[in-house]
Amino acid sequence: MSQSTPTTDIRRDLVALLPRLRRFALTLTGSAPEADDLVRLVCGRAIHKSHHWKGEGRIESWLFSMMRSAWADDAKKRRKSDAASQSADLNAPAGDPARANYLLLSLPEGLASSFLLVEVEGFTYKEAAAVLGLSKDVLASRLCAARLKLAALGMDVAERRA
Amino acid sequence: MTLPNAQPSALELRLSSYLDGEASDQDKHELEALLVNDSQARVLHDSLKRGGEFGRRVLDDMLKEPVPLDLVRTIKNAPLPRRAVRLPQAPRAPLAFRPSGAQALLACLLFFGVGGGIGYMLAAHPPMPDFARTSAPASDARDWLDDVVAHYRLYERQESRLSEIGADRPADILQWLTTNTGVSFRIPNLSDSGLTFAGARLVAADGLPLGVLFYKRSDGENEVIALTFSKTRPDTGRPIEDIRNDTGLVSWSTPLATFVLVGPSSAADLDDIAAKAAGLI
Repeated sequence: MSQSTPTTDIRRDLVALLPRLRRFALTLTGSAPEADDLVRLVCGRAIHKSHHWKGEGRIESWLFSMMRSAWADDAKKRRKSDAASQSADLNAPAGDPARANYLLLSLPEGLASSFLLVEVEGFTYKEAAAVLGLSKDVLASRLCAARLKLAALGMDVAERRA
Repeated sequence: MTLPNAQPSALELRLSSYLDGEASDQDKHELEALLVNDSQARVLHDSLKRGGEFGRRVLDDMLKEPVPLDLVRTIKNAPLPRRAVRLPQAPRAPLAFRPSGAQALLACLLFFGVGGGIGYMLAAHPPMPDFARTSAPASDARDWLDDVVAHYRLYERQESRLSEIGADRPADILQWLTTNTGVSFRIPNLSDSGLTFAGARLVAADGLPLGVLFYKRSDGENEVIALTFSKTRPDTGRPIEDIRNDTGLVSWSTPLATFVLVGPSSAADLDDIAAKAAGLI
């Protein structure tokens, strides 16, 4: 799925990538409704600009970059929705999606998306920094901070289970 | 709830980069040695590793969440943008004009020269005479032979006033016309062609004096033939046989004069008469 030729119907690629697009959107917005709105907006733009996609590199890079850019354009939405944060319950049972989301969304802004791109999506520092519009050093710093926070959260979850 | 965002230490950053394979070779060797010898570094390394594993597990779980159906429908039903269809056509020659520096310089010099030439011509020739000349194309098209024909047509009808000086005064004619036209001539005797000398006139053709010798047919048809002469004109270098306004004319030139024999276009022997006159005048 990482490669797509210009002649391919981009809508099929987008549908196949939807879970990953939503996940990345969630690391940006912090709330599921806003993430879905962002995904809808970016997918519409991607279809409209599909002739710009030349099939070179990973289509995810293009889509993630558009998503980050679209989110950054709307400064008001940069603040994570309090309502979404409050709706998640830290005391929810382990394995509950709402709890998992909360753990992720509780990370300071910018850490989750950096962590996702490098640790999960397998981007290099250079690629991830380009998608997020950051320098490599800032990305490395955010990634390290995300790992440390997640380690602390993991310990906390393990203690609660015990 | 948002956790405090403390800046990672230098060692944490190096270990994090080491986990991602982004550390330099030298840093990699140093960190591997440090992990063997430094227990605190090993703790940090394990903590970072654990955090990465935990986060990856959480994010992987996110993919198991169902995607909203309306989102899928929205994308699947979104209209694709129209694409411009390029029909097959013959390859066109490249139109790109990329002159080299030397070509551009040459073009500049050429335009400079042309512009200078145009400016010089405009300065040398006032616009009014040029306008008068270009605004009267009819006068350009009309040459001196038209004047000759016009005079012939005018006077050949004047039976009683054909000539200014009659044929009975040949000496006066010679002196008068020679003086005024600057052409030395004789009055040809064309009786062999059935022509009788009838007199002479002095007219102007295209601004130059033109001597006219009139002859009449001896057979009583009152047909008039005119032998005209003027100073050599540069535009009559070669003999001309022409018919203008039902009037025939034959022209020839010598180094000193230009001659035109004029008669009715019906005169079939005009060229023969001209040949004889050319030898006698």
